[in-house]
Amino acid sequence: MNEFSSAAETASRIRNGDITASAVIEETLRVIEEKEKDLNALITFLREEALQEAKELDRRIAAGEADGPLLGVPVVVKDNMCTKGIKTTCGSRILERWKPPYDAWVVEKLREAGAILVGKSNMDEFAMGSSTEHSAYGPASNPWDIERVTGGSSGGSAASVSAGYVPVALGSDTGGSIRQPAAFCGVFGMKPTYGLVSRFGLVAFASSLDQIGPFARNVEDLALMLSVISEHDPRDATCVGADRPDYLAAAERSSLAGVKVGVVREFLTAAVEPEISKVVLDTAAAMKEAGASLVDVKLPSAGKAGLPCYYILAPAEASSNLARYDGIRYGKREEACDLMELYFKTRGSGFGKEVKRRILTGTYVLSSGYYDAYYLRALKVRRLICMEFESAFEKADLILMPTAPSLPFRKGELVDDPLQMYMSDVFTLPVNLAGLPGLSMCVGRSGKGLPLGVQLVAPQWQESLILKCGRAVEDAFGPAPVAGRGGM
Amino acid sequence: MPENVRTVIGLEVHVQLATKSKMFCTCSNDYIGAVPNSNICPVCLGLPGTLPVLNGKVVEFAIKAAMALGSKIAKRTWFHRKNYFYPDLPKAYQISQYDVPLASGGKLVIDTEGKKKTIGITRLHLEEDAGKLVHQAIDGRLSGAKYSLVDYNRAGVPLIEIVSEPDISSPSEARDYVIRLRQLVRYLGISDGDMESGSLRVDANISRTSPNGSFGSKVEVKNMNSLSALEKALAYEERRQDDVLRGGGAVLQETRHWDDSSGRTLSSRGKEEAHDYRYFPEPDLPSVAITEEQVQKIRKTLPELPWEKEIRFIEIYCLSPEETDLLIAKKDMAEYFESVVKAGVEPRRAANWFKTEIMRLMNEGRFEPEDPAIPADELANLLKAVDRGAISNTAAKDVWGKMLSEGFTAAEAMEMLGLSEGSLEKERLRKIIEGIIEEHHEVTEEIRSGKDTKGKKLKFLFGLVMRETRGQADPEEVRSILEEMVR
Repeated sequence: MNEFSSAAETASRIRNGDITASAVIEETLRVIEEKEKDLNALITFLREEALQEAKELDRRIAAGEADGPLLGVPVVVKDNMCTKGIKTTCGSRILERWKPPYDAWVVEKLREAGAILVGKSNMDEFAMGSSTEHSAYGPASNPWDIERVTGGSSGGSAASVSAGYVPVALGSDTGGSIRQPAAFCGVFGMKPTYGLVSRFGLVAFASSLDQIGPFARNVEDLALMLSVISEHDPRDATCVGADRPDYLAAAERSSLAGVKVGVVREFLTAAVEPEISKVVLDTAAAMKEAGASLVDVKLPSAGKAGLPCYYILAPAEASSNLARYDGIRYGKREEACDLMELYFKTRGSGFGKEVKRRILTGTYVLSSGYYDAYYLRALKVRRLICMEFESAFEKADLILMPTAPSLPFRKGELVDDPLQMYMSDVFTLPVNLAGLPGLSMCVGRSGKGLPLGVQLVAPQWQESLILKCGRAVEDAFGPAPVAGRGGM
Repeated sequence: MPENVRTVIGLEVHVQLATKSKMFCTCSNDYIGAVPNSNICPVCLGLPGTLPVLNGKVVEFAIKAAMALGSKIAKRTWFHRKNYFYPDLPKAYQISQYDVPLASGGKLVIDTEGKKKTIGITRLHLEEDAGKLVHQAIDGRLSGAKYSLVDYNRAGVPLIEIVSEPDISSPSEARDYVIRLRQLVRYLGISDGDMESGSLRVDANISRTSPNGSFGSKVEVKNMNSLSALEKALAYEERRQDDVLRGGGAVLQETRHWDDSSGRTLSSRGKEEAHDYRYFPEPDLPSVAITEEQVQKIRKTLPELPWEKEIRFIEIYCLSPEETDLLIAKKDMAEYFESVVKAGVEPRRAANWFKTEIMRLMNEGRFEPEDPAIPADELANLLKAVDRGAISNTAAKDVWGKMLSEGFTAAEAMEMLGLSEGSLEKERLRKIIEGIIEEHHEVTEEIRSGKDTKGKKLKFLFGLVMRETRGQADPEEVRSILEEMVR
């Protein structure tokens, strides 16, 4: 067992008794200890807890009491998912010591499946950012080049999988926060359909857009994770209770005959890194080779109006979701003489710059006198983008486009240029606005050795189709390699 | 003030719904008297990552109220977030409704000054309650408090807000409106409607029409914790606003708080700045579809409404409107009354009994129609004895007293008092009279010897007989038997 193993393989070998969970975890801890100093992928490293859990799991396995699809598999979850009794900071000072009294639904499901949590991953504060530089706990580094960013906001989870800490991890995606760091770190990352995975225990950023999804280095592991976390949860009213298909079966090798892949050529402009445009076309060719037919689709509104629409709606919801951090009930509280001072000082010192920027933006667009011009108009644009995707899906079964317009940038390069930073999500956020599933896959490396990502987008609830096509792409380009070691 | 100055009042009434659990979580709704912060969970505390899930009963209860008010129920409705910072509001937003309330329109017919008056209903919407601040000053008030504590037991309790049209034209009418609304929610069983404990809270908007007939500025009055506080606060506002107008000033549009101890309303400017609540659709809750089928199902569960009961009582029991009002004020009372009548008591007699005896006991706090000390059947047995002429009305009161004090059935109490059925037949009466004559033979002798010229001695014996029979004997009969036997 080593850092290259997949989750499915690890669980199966533990189940067969080829290896113990303790041995797997010890190897995981060794890798983390070796690389974490450079990467800063984790906010909380659960070293002792993981060892303890592995020992306990081995005992239960020996007694025939434990099994599960992720038996003994080490996992990392983003630090905005609640973990009972374990710090959940959201990358923020305001929650630096907060320990939730409950597990998020997804954490519960991972534990039930036999997974062992080894860490809580670094992230942009409250998931607001595209580089993981907006973390109160320092930026995470890209395992392919530690001078560069991981992308964000789920940068720590992407880096953990890319660096071989763990075979699988969870992130959350509000405007691209799983897919863009997956592309930057050279792994696979999937944002499911809005409503597939319960958000219970996911600290909210923008409730109508947030969705939890998995990172992995191959499609089978994504399918495995998806089948574990997508069970219906009555505690999330937006989580749709429907029969979940067999994702593992969907991820098996099969022909793409009859699948129409829509390529958004209009997105492949000069504003997009040429090497990225090229891999999009290479991927299209590979899918054609696997039996698919190619068509051109257009998404003009998504490309032009998606970004401003998103940067009105997401901050609006965030301004409301983050209002509860007032120093009254939990989290950070500054000393003050009266209520107003308590609010100002606590929120003033507890939130970072980017979070404040979005709270202010969100408060502004919801204010009376501005609501119609901004918020209401953005809702209409959102509807337009949904309709645009719907008509694209009349022509194509699946859409292929870049994940991000650029390669991973250098740390500090965009941190003071929010608009440029926001551009990083231009191809991912329309998918959130329309509530669709999207998968970012690593399909090679640039001349400089940096990962190149492409994105597959399907109609709502068509995760199986994405996995099927993703498997064909993986067969053509190979699984995602562990950074700096072998592969491609 | 010129003749044409009128008062215009609209009321916003918040009614806590008596569902088992809170609006969006499984915490118990029954928080009264609970240890502070014992009736809470991560959801109603708004902890990060938690999500609301709508309690279906809340919608059902609200639909009942909407139906009773004749409001138009929305086919699809949804929630909005009302954003503001206050320590008692765990999420810093209240889940409420905004552009599409659960129901709109409707009316409530009230009894006021002996007449019926129709007050229009503007809308009825759902929202969650907040927690409560406890200020640690000697008098429990904010000013001078060293610190404040927050109790979240009430956070997330479901409320309906019922907004009236500005159709109310006096403080006493406002009171009558609230009485009617309270009666309604109690009839529907959707709330205990208790103002003192805050289950029913009233905010009032009041203005005086200026002399030229146009509306004056609207003043919102809050913090009235009883019907009398409501009436007093509004009466105070009428006077205050008139004083302002008379002095040539303009009434400020503002929110004022009623201070019960000083009997005044105080401006809350400064404390409550102009809020921009930044309403927007609640993304954590899907919209709520209300189907015709669901509405019909709920309609079947509606009880007879107070005004329906009123008409029926007047018609079938031939009672006056005033008597009816008394009997149907509380649904339990009306049901108790009807049980008594259905057991065979003459309605007129039953109504009289309720007007006097039951009302007296209720005023003394010795009788609760929701949990009657005497079962309706037993009261019926007592009153039927009166109906039959077996006992007099006066004796019935004694029996009733025994039933209440000893917990006896009507038959047991009558037995105890020697009033058992059939005991006053002529034969028995003769025996009683014979006994008395024997016991007081010297008096009898005096009568027989003709010394009782004024009939005083005979009256004495007569009185003894009546006492012995506890007034149950027919006086005419006693007199004739007595005269016959002493002669």
